[in-house]
Amino acid sequence: MNLSLRDVRHDFSRFLLTAVGLGLLLTVVLAMTGIYNGIIKDATALPDSLGADLWIVQRDTRGPFAELSRVSNDLEERARAVPGVARARSYVAHTIQRQLPNGRPLRFTAVGLSWPDDLGRSLPIVRGRPLAQPHYECLVDSSLGLSLGQRIPLGRDVYTVVGITDGLLASGGDPSAFFTLSDAQRIQNDVSNEAIRLDREARSARVRQSALGRDPELVRFSGKNARLIPALAPLPVSAVMLNLEPGVSLETVQARLQGWQDITVYSQEEEHGLILGGVVEKTRRQIGLFRGLLVVISAILMGLIIYTMTVDKIHSIALLKLLGAPMSVILGMILEEALLLGGIAYVLAVMIGNFAFDIFPRRVVVENEHRLALLFIVTAISIASSAIGMKKALAADPNEVLAA
Amino acid sequence: MSDPILAVQARSLSKHYGEGNTYVLALKEATFEIASGEVVALLGPSGSGKSTLLTILGLINPPDTGWLQVGGVDVIRDGAAVGDTNLIRRRNLGFVFQRSNLIPFLTAEENVRLVLELDDVPRREALRRTREILESLDVADRASHLPMQLSGGQQQRVAIARALVHQPSLLLADEPTASLDKELGRRVMELLKTAAIERGAAVLVVTHDHRALDLVDRIFEIEDGVLDAQSASVPEVTQ
Ligand SMILES: Nc1ncnc2c1ncn2[C@@H]1O[C@H](COP(=O)(O)OP(=O)(O)OP(=O)(O)O)[C@@H](O)[C@H]1O
Ligand SMILES: [Mg+2]
Repeated sequence: MNLSLRDVRHDFSRFLLTAVGLGLLLTVVLAMTGIYNGIIKDATALPDSLGADLWIVQRDTRGPFAELSRVSNDLEERARAVPGVARARSYVAHTIQRQLPNGRPLRFTAVGLSWPDDLGRSLPIVRGRPLAQPHYECLVDSSLGLSLGQRIPLGRDVYTVVGITDGLLASGGDPSAFFTLSDAQRIQNDVSNEAIRLDREARSARVRQSALGRDPELVRFSGKNARLIPALAPLPVSAVMLNLEPGVSLETVQARLQGWQDITVYSQEEEHGLILGGVVEKTRRQIGLFRGLLVVISAILMGLIIYTMTVDKIHSIALLKLLGAPMSVILGMILEEALLLGGIAYVLAVMIGNFAFDIFPRRVVVENEHRLALLFIVTAISIASSAIGMKKALAADPNEVLAA
Repeated sequence: MSDPILAVQARSLSKHYGEGNTYVLALKEATFEIASGEVVALLGPSGSGKSTLLTILGLINPPDTGWLQVGGVDVIRDGAAVGDTNLIRRRNLGFVFQRSNLIPFLTAEENVRLVLELDDVPRREALRRTREILESLDVADRASHLPMQLSGGQQQRVAIARALVHQPSLLLADEPTASLDKELGRRVMELLKTAAIERGAAVLVVTHDHRALDLVDRIFEIEDGVLDAQSASVPEVTQ
């Protein structure tokens, strides 16, 4: 006859309550794991979905995600000429915070895609379509809460949401929105009419005072839209993304580009390292620490629970010894109860997690491997804590039956 | 090497507790024999060594010196346990104490059947033998009750069933009727005696209840650890 099941049944409500409590604790452990994974996934989702092999950034910076980077906008052309490079795209990104006409704040990272080379096809678009026009279209992340076809005024232009992506947050944790490169730059440089007027005047004055002022054409242009005078104000981009031709060694191209004095080149993997090692490092470590602490707390609690459960039936254990029950029967009972407790708590945690994690404000990524890891941890904790109970049981003295 | 109808043979069992000024010689050179089916009462004042003797016979505490055979098998030689103590307990010994004899999370039936299952008796046979002994002790109608749902007398009868169901050579009982009233105590003693004799077990029962002494075959008296040699003589046993 199975003693552990009978013991559990005897005070089932208490056992169940304990299991539920432990289950909730394990749910938090699982949530911490999920949030930890979510942070990593969120941080790397954008560079991953852009699918570049190499990133060219401003020399000695750790851009474009971990740090601000500016490279000249002709870099794309220069890089494209390098042997082995199949595709070069400029990348710009900046975070802006505006208000919708209805007063709702709108904060996102505007990412510029090289028109017409990159229409956003590589992005995880869940609804709508990639960009199809050089201007006034955008793809936004679902976490921004905008709907397909919605028109958003940004500066003096109005952009239409043509596609919705899923799970693309920029390194700062803000949702991304994708525009053509020139639109993104326009949004970035969107300033009030008065500021533009003052800026243009100041620029004309500067040109007139400098040697450039001897050219009357230049003076005339200098008071106009900055975009019309590329020679004066070439808008920089954040980085250039490269894709290599098949069979071309990453290291070779990287080494060759590294020779250029104005830039630094990172592989996709190195970008990952920069993002995880920099931007989210502290959060990641913090969450990791909490997770570790919670595992330790669970282990201590479980040890105490199993110890108490053993102490509670020490008389029965002494009696079993007196009846000549083999030690394996007694130890087996304790181990089984510990595993049962851990097992129920684990199943509860996974079940609660399946329901609850979707409504968490942060992304919680729990895969089967993480559930398996938790199962492994719970089993280890159960066995370790039953060892504490077993030690107590081994010490139980049949004399205690007489003393009772 | 011993008479096979002897359930217990004890030679020179001694036991002390403590050291220096806490030294107590609780049992002095106890030598006796009990035949199968014989019921022996162990009488003595408090602190005289009754429980001490019982725990030695039950292999709960080892003696300092002495030799003991149970069911014709050496279990203590020169004060040290020999053989598989657990196995000897499972097969050859039964215990009944004053109270708290039963495992609280098992029903009356399970408490009794457990002893058989620990010794790998097939389930069907275990069920049959359990039902049978519960019936003979008049508690079959309480088989599925938990101990706390039973009266004191019912609990003791279930405990006796548990102590005898595996047909041990020796049943050790330490004041089994002390928590019961006089009438019930006597009834329980009667049932114990009948069940023991039916199963061929020798019984050594510690009791303070002199009114139940007419039920026993012999009386051992113990005082200051000295077992009365007179009453401990081997009686005539009819086969
Ligand atoms: N564990 C122990 N440690 C020290 N001394 C003990 C221990 N157990 C018993 N004694 C002593 O041994 C002597 C015999 O004790 P025992 O328990 O055998 O007496 P008893 O006849 O069963 O008494 P009672 O009728 O009160 O149960 C007593 O003097 C007691 O104090
Ligand atoms: Mg006593």
